[in-house]
Amino acid sequence: MLTYILRRTLYMIPLLLVVSLISFSLIKLMPGDYLTTARLNPQITAETLQQQIERFGLDRSFIVQYAYWLKNVLTGDFGTSFDTRMPVFRTLFFGGRLMWTIILASTTLVLTWLIAIPIGIYSATHQYKPSDHVVTFFGFLGLSIPNFFFALVLLWMLVVIFRVGDHGLGVGGLLDARFFDAPMSLAKFGNYLWHMWPLWLVIGTGGMAGLIRLMRGSLLDTLSLPYVQTARSKGLKERVVVYKHAVRNAINPLVTVLGLSLPTLVGGSIITAIVLNIPTVGRAYFAALQQQDEPVILGGLLFFSLFLLIGNLVADFLLAWVDPRIRYN
Amino acid sequence: MKKALILASLLLVSSLAVFGQGYDAQPADALVFPFGVAGTPYENAELGVRGGTIHEASIEDPRGWNNHTAHETSTTQYTNLMHRGLLNLDHISGAVVIDFAKSYDISDDGLVLTFHLRENIYWSDGVLITADDVLFTYNDVILNEDVDCNSRDGQILPDGTFPVCEKVDDYTVTFTLSTIYRPILNSLAFNLMPKHKLAQFVHKLNPDVPVGTFNETWTLDTPLDELVGNGPYIVTGYQVNVSVTMERNPYYYGYDNAGTQLPYFDKFVSNIVTNQDVSMLKFRNGEIDVYGMRAEDIPILLPESTGKGFSVMITDLATYGTTWILVNQDIGLAEGTDTEKREIYRTVEFREALAHLLDKDTMVQNVLNGLGTYQWTGVSLPSPFYAGRDYYGGPITEADAVTFEYDPALAASKLDALGVVDADGDGWRDLPSGAPLEITINANDNTTRIAYCLIIQDDFRAAGLNANFQVIDFNTLVGDLFAATGDIILLGLTGGDEPNSGKNVYTSCGSLHAYRYSACDDPDEVDLRIDELMDLGANTFDLDAAFGYYKEYQQLLAYQLGYIYLCQPTFLYAHYDFVGNANLSSPTSTPGGNNGLLLELCFDKTL
Repeated sequence: MLTYILRRTLYMIPLLLVVSLISFSLIKLMPGDYLTTARLNPQITAETLQQQIERFGLDRSFIVQYAYWLKNVLTGDFGTSFDTRMPVFRTLFFGGRLMWTIILASTTLVLTWLIAIPIGIYSATHQYKPSDHVVTFFGFLGLSIPNFFFALVLLWMLVVIFRVGDHGLGVGGLLDARFFDAPMSLAKFGNYLWHMWPLWLVIGTGGMAGLIRLMRGSLLDTLSLPYVQTARSKGLKERVVVYKHAVRNAINPLVTVLGLSLPTLVGGSIITAIVLNIPTVGRAYFAALQQQDEPVILGGLLFFSLFLLIGNLVADFLLAWVDPRIRYN
Repeated sequence: MKKALILASLLLVSSLAVFGQGYDAQPADALVFPFGVAGTPYENAELGVRGGTIHEASIEDPRGWNNHTAHETSTTQYTNLMHRGLLNLDHISGAVVIDFAKSYDISDDGLVLTFHLRENIYWSDGVLITADDVLFTYNDVILNEDVDCNSRDGQILPDGTFPVCEKVDDYTVTFTLSTIYRPILNSLAFNLMPKHKLAQFVHKLNPDVPVGTFNETWTLDTPLDELVGNGPYIVTGYQVNVSVTMERNPYYYGYDNAGTQLPYFDKFVSNIVTNQDVSMLKFRNGEIDVYGMRAEDIPILLPESTGKGFSVMITDLATYGTTWILVNQDIGLAEGTDTEKREIYRTVEFREALAHLLDKDTMVQNVLNGLGTYQWTGVSLPSPFYAGRDYYGGPITEADAVTFEYDPALAASKLDALGVVDADGDGWRDLPSGAPLEITINANDNTTRIAYCLIIQDDFRAAGLNANFQVIDFNTLVGDLFAATGDIILLGLTGGDEPNSGKNVYTSCGSLHAYRYSACDDPDEVDLRIDELMDLGANTFDLDAAFGYYKEYQQLLAYQLGYIYLCQPTFLYAHYDFVGNANLSSPTSTPGGNNGLLLELCFDKTL
């Protein structure tokens, strides 16, 4: 197993190199650059623009820029953001962005799984019954409403219908303004929760619907397998058949999904985070994309790629853990 | 116990370092605003009381706290509150007025500007502000080529030199010019930076730090107690993507005429809200007190305003900036193609025909919800130099404006006269040679611009011009603009009060003379006259004379139809009624606006 982990880890190095080269090429293929907006500023002279082009190294050829970047990366220097003048990863993670991203994503993930798996099982075991249709309807509804729209509608309802402002409650963001500089207290913690629940609801419903459908489909497949029929014919209770025999096997595909959701822990839900005003790594990356802040885009892509690869690895291990038939050599 | 005492002392010292105690009494050299005094821009301003917090919403995060390396308003919105310069724009009138300078003189030959600084005024950490800080900011930061500072370009005199800044004594500095250049007054409104805090990061003053260190100074991760300024507020809190908090600078030198130190509000909290629909919801929810609303918000906000205690300001004042279409008169020049199309595009009668096909009324009604004004020249409408006025700063009359009314029949007759007629009977007008004339209109993915383009496309097509509109990526569009590879492009530019700041756009060799770059090598009479007028307008301190020159330049520009101007949205604003003086908001300044000028005059009426 250790050899396997080592081998998979070593494979990541050339893979990340290829990712970096492709990412670099794609960035260079994008029209314009970080200074495009400055070019439209009537008060900036051509000489100043040229100085900035040279300062950011944008006048060098593609190969030279990539080689220069790679050389620095190998010494641990991922460069400085054109925009914030801070190191790349400081720009991405600064101000608790990483922490809030992980808090948001992990709590949403746990809540989603805790709710979606039982609903999926219920839906599969009550196939085509009215309750299954109701669950399926809401599942599809959650899947089909764009998150940003749902977030806006939710905020609108809070403000206009429930008039939360009359009770001194704010919408969006991490906290109400009165708590910005206040020390931690029960009231402040409660206010954090007040601002988190719309996020859980918006992001959760989107992910939950997919999981419900996946669990339902996988369990239905499993329930039709001969060994389940054997178990039933042996006279086992339905509860035992479902939970002890069927669900344990049906959950395998979901375990893979769990591993693969690792990258979304740090990079997902950008638009929802923008609408609901939450600091996340994805937002910093999105801002870099908008500004064509090349060092941050590259650093972000590498970071997300690394998480994707680790997520794959974790998925494989989890699969081996839950399914004794799978062994890695 | 001893350790605790030392620790307590250190804490006390460090807290003193952030904010000093403030003045015991109003300094003799305070900047006093004449609230309520008739005949001044402040005659409608109310005296306020200190205290409270004002909340607003900003659309983006700041990128740092360094005023002179900032390139975007999302940063200068805060740094302009932390720092003030020798001169400033007036809070209400927008004119250039004294600020940290208590007065200034211009020598008889117009070449030496002497500034007398306010004495015994301190930085927010309690250190005295002197001429050394002015020299440091100008000579070691703005003119220092190691510093990535956009405002350096504004300091360039017409002969390519920079003003020479020298210290006369601790409270007097001079700027010596090689030639008379009035717009330098706008440029000398640069914000002052504290030498005692920042000189250590400038390589030319401290060779121990690498070149360019200053560019990475006062970034977002700098401890906020390092920030020092002389403006009304200092940043004291920042939560990424969520909010910026600023608190009153106890050493700010602005006072009202009742002897109360400004600003009135203790705190200014800026909520960072990227989505403007959410900003509006936050305003309706009472979380933000002032809001730069959009035309589409009016039907929602207006009915709510009385019950919720806020006011909706709907004015007929145009906002700064311009939106235009550009007919590329150099089309195909580099490749030696499109000769005939280029020839027709260079014919002013053809551009006049296009101008007569621009239905500005429909644009204002359909795109700007009826809340817009027509634009005829390259100078922003709020500018006192706008050609639609009779004299400098006079009311807009448009009496002398060079206008091209929407008149499809006239446009058709002009096209006919040029021989741009349907030669092959396919329903589309052709070039005089009979070759097909296909026009491409490009804009970036911007809702307002797309709507304008669709109206223009329809009118062009109705007149028999085979026009097609395509949305293209903003960066590609800008690339086309600079490479002169586009056909007809719709874009916009920012604007200000001083027409000379648009020199790059309108003079024949300007880097944004995008409708005909070749004018630099081959200027016509109009190009040469515009170049001359730009210089004449700048080379006098007589505003009336400058207005005359600039008016002629704008009229020539309008006749020339290089950029054909469209419309500009009018100024709209909403604020809760408890915010005193917020009703003085204008395109020049708003409490939560980019220059934050009005903010220091606002107060909480409920206190």
